[in-house]
Amino acid sequence: MYLTVRDATKTYGTFTALDRVSIEIEKGEFVCLLGPSGCGKTTLLRLIAGLTDLDGGEITLEGATLSDLPTRKRGFGIVFQSYSLFPNMTVAENIGYGLKIRGAPKDEVATRVKELLALVKLPQVADNLPGQLSGGQQQRIALARAIAVDPRVLLLDEPLSALDAKVRATLRDEIRQVQRSLGIPTLMVTHDQEEALALADKIICMNHGVVVQAGTPEDLYHRPATRFVAEFMGISNLLPASEIERHFPDLLTTRPSSDEPYLACIRPEQIGVTPAKDGTATVRSISFLGNLRRLEVDSPAGPLLVETHGGNACRAGDRVNLSIEPQACTWVIDDAARPETAPA
Amino acid sequence: MSVAGHTTRHPARRRFDADRLLTLACVGLPLIGLILFFAYPMAIVFLRSITVDGSYGLGNYAEVLGSSGFWRATRHSLVMGGATTALSVFLGFIIAHGLYRCAFPGKWLIRSVIVLPLLAPSLVQALGLIFLLGRNGIISRALGIEIEIYGFWGLLIANTLYALPQAVMIIGAALILLDARTYEAAEVMGAPPWRQFRDLTIPAARFGILNAAFVCFTITITDFGNAAVIGGDYSVLATEIYSQVVGQRNFNMGAVVGIMLLLPTVISYSIERQAMKRQQAGQTTGQVAYRPEFAALRDLSMAALSLLICAGILSVIGIVVYASFVTLWPYNMTLSPKHYDITLAGGYSSLWMTIVISLAAAAGGTVAVFLLGLGLRRLPQAIAQPIQILAAMPAAVPGMVLGLAYILTFNSTATPLYLLYGTAALIAIVNFYHYHTQAFLTVMTGFRQLPEALEEAAGSLGAGLGRTARDIVAPFIAPMLVSVFFFLFMRSMVTLSAVVFLTTPDLSVAAVTIMRLDDAGLTSQAAAFSTCVMAVVCAAVLSMKATLALMGRRTMAKGAE
Repeated sequence: MYLTVRDATKTYGTFTALDRVSIEIEKGEFVCLLGPSGCGKTTLLRLIAGLTDLDGGEITLEGATLSDLPTRKRGFGIVFQSYSLFPNMTVAENIGYGLKIRGAPKDEVATRVKELLALVKLPQVADNLPGQLSGGQQQRIALARAIAVDPRVLLLDEPLSALDAKVRATLRDEIRQVQRSLGIPTLMVTHDQEEALALADKIICMNHGVVVQAGTPEDLYHRPATRFVAEFMGISNLLPASEIERHFPDLLTTRPSSDEPYLACIRPEQIGVTPAKDGTATVRSISFLGNLRRLEVDSPAGPLLVETHGGNACRAGDRVNLSIEPQACTWVIDDAARPETAPA
Repeated sequence: MSVAGHTTRHPARRRFDADRLLTLACVGLPLIGLILFFAYPMAIVFLRSITVDGSYGLGNYAEVLGSSGFWRATRHSLVMGGATTALSVFLGFIIAHGLYRCAFPGKWLIRSVIVLPLLAPSLVQALGLIFLLGRNGIISRALGIEIEIYGFWGLLIANTLYALPQAVMIIGAALILLDARTYEAAEVMGAPPWRQFRDLTIPAARFGILNAAFVCFTITITDFGNAAVIGGDYSVLATEIYSQVVGQRNFNMGAVVGIMLLLPTVISYSIERQAMKRQQAGQTTGQVAYRPEFAALRDLSMAALSLLICAGILSVIGIVVYASFVTLWPYNMTLSPKHYDITLAGGYSSLWMTIVISLAAAAGGTVAVFLLGLGLRRLPQAIAQPIQILAAMPAAVPGMVLGLAYILTFNSTATPLYLLYGTAALIAIVNFYHYHTQAFLTVMTGFRQLPEALEEAAGSLGAGLGRTARDIVAPFIAPMLVSVFFFLFMRSMVTLSAVVFLTTPDLSVAAVTIMRLDDAGLTSQAAAFSTCVMAVVCAAVLSMKATLALMGRRTMAKGAE
């Protein structure tokens, strides 16, 4: 393991921000800390950066403990949500600042700055002040500044949250590309599950100061462990076992044999809809979302959300039959903790 | 989920780190200064007030409270404070309303004239009134009437002129907060202008007015210069302290009067701070500036009133400059520079000394509050808060009381601090601590605008505290530091109350020299000296504006390369 956090604990007065959290990052890995606001993800990032002190637990990098090292000696790169470029320095001075501190010769700094400006696709802004750039441009410079010093770990604190949708999507891809090509182990904090799904090798989903589930994006989307993860990672239909037993008995085959109060989790795109005059369900409403349609369906098991692509000619009020493949159903623990931020 | 500003309750896990030591030094040095040069002298003045013949007791208080002179001075101080407050807040509201809620040309003129009284020693207003309305005053002679300007009325006008700039600034700041959208909403809902004034403008200015009232009250009852020059027989607490200490060499009784003067100012100051908090809590971001449309009746009357008030200020200050050039007031009105040949009271040596002292107070003070602000950001709230409260306290202490505290502390051979007595350094120090609060709060405002992430970003790139302070923090709050430097310089140039006790025959400052010249009947020379001080301070104002403009331009130019 490259970077390890073991049993990290942090409290503010009576509020426990982090409760014995353990995570691991491998060399070259892109890890996302995902969760609603207040879940402790930013606190964890700040602990790793050394911006906040641990109350308990340990953080190690390649086996060596980091607890004694102040931020400036950790050799990490950080990108903040608020860009945080130094307003009194030009773009080139911003990017070169870390190298200057390390005593690099002037011409070496200049060469490196040039390289990095090319890498973030902004070669022409070297002599501008940060205030003259757009938000997206500023964040690219912040990224260049963070990777200029060949950081041992790159920490991204909601780097895309302040940007508008289109810039966000482009910059997201660029961050991924840069991270891949340089192979810097990266930890990104985000509350946007789409961002996490698109970027991460591994997602660590947090809530109320603990890790709820960690795994690949596919794992978390298709095999959520708890109701919280299921609801946070996109839209899902959650049905109690009793309803499944009555209306979709086929699905019971995958149910784990345990006394835990399991819920069936079915993603809306996993439900098939067939129009039928004697159908058991009724389409209540349809939203057209461009590439797909979202149907609200009243089924005997309760209201369900269904997403269909292309030529489904259903209209509101039509009667339909619903079909669900047994392997499309995941059973999740009902942790009853509803996410504080509803997923988009 | 910002966790900025919090520091762990158990930081012990981290090893010794140079930055922590530096943080301690940043806070520690200014804190030692505050304790040594503010808290300790204030404790001494309190102890001396309860010292009777070498032991402690309330005898001094009994004596003071039993004297009719004290009660007369207290009554005068309160009446004068109340009257000045009412008048300056009323006039201040008119000007602030004119500046920020009305449309008329020439506002820059009003803005410039209104700050003039701040640029001169407070006794200049009194001098000006004497030249205008005194027995030999221009107006009295022209009208052939005898006005008794010494006493209540003269002091009231002088104090009002002195308090007015503060009132305008505070009320104006409150009015600016009420933005255009609020008025647009009222307009859409059909509110006529007078209702908008009554329902929007007045409530918005409420805290500003309250705040201004307390500030005006405090500066009036603590001012010494005007009372000394034009108060005549109308004794107030500030002159009472002076006569106890300088006239009767009765330090303990002076201390008692000082403590009694401290009571109303402390109360007034703490209420004012609360009012300020309430006002700040109501602030919103993303303001849309209000641009008043021309309304003939409102704007013409407001402009006329504002100009009238400004004409008053201008004539009082202007007559001092004029009189300084008149050969023999009021008999030979030809102009000559002969009064500038000042021989009494050490000539111009005290002016040069004051400039040196002011530069020292400004430079040292700016560095001290910068370090304090820098260090406080890195301390846990539980430790930072008490230090902040201590740093904001000096504003509640009248200059006379602080000066008295200094003479009691530093003129005693009991401690090595005695070495400072009679030095220019001590005068620079008293000037800095007298105006510590304003300097500190200004710098803290700058620090609050500095995003914590900037310092964290510098830290992650490998910069230590020293480097971050130099490369990131100082450039960011440079405009605030420039303002603080010039504020301390200008106040040190003109202040009288705190330094009046600390000057010696060999070491005087400008304001004291003016008072001495006036006392000696050399009113024209006092006017000439005042004019020199005002010239220095005006030059300082212009340099400040130029520096700030240059800094703004350089930043722009750097980006345009």
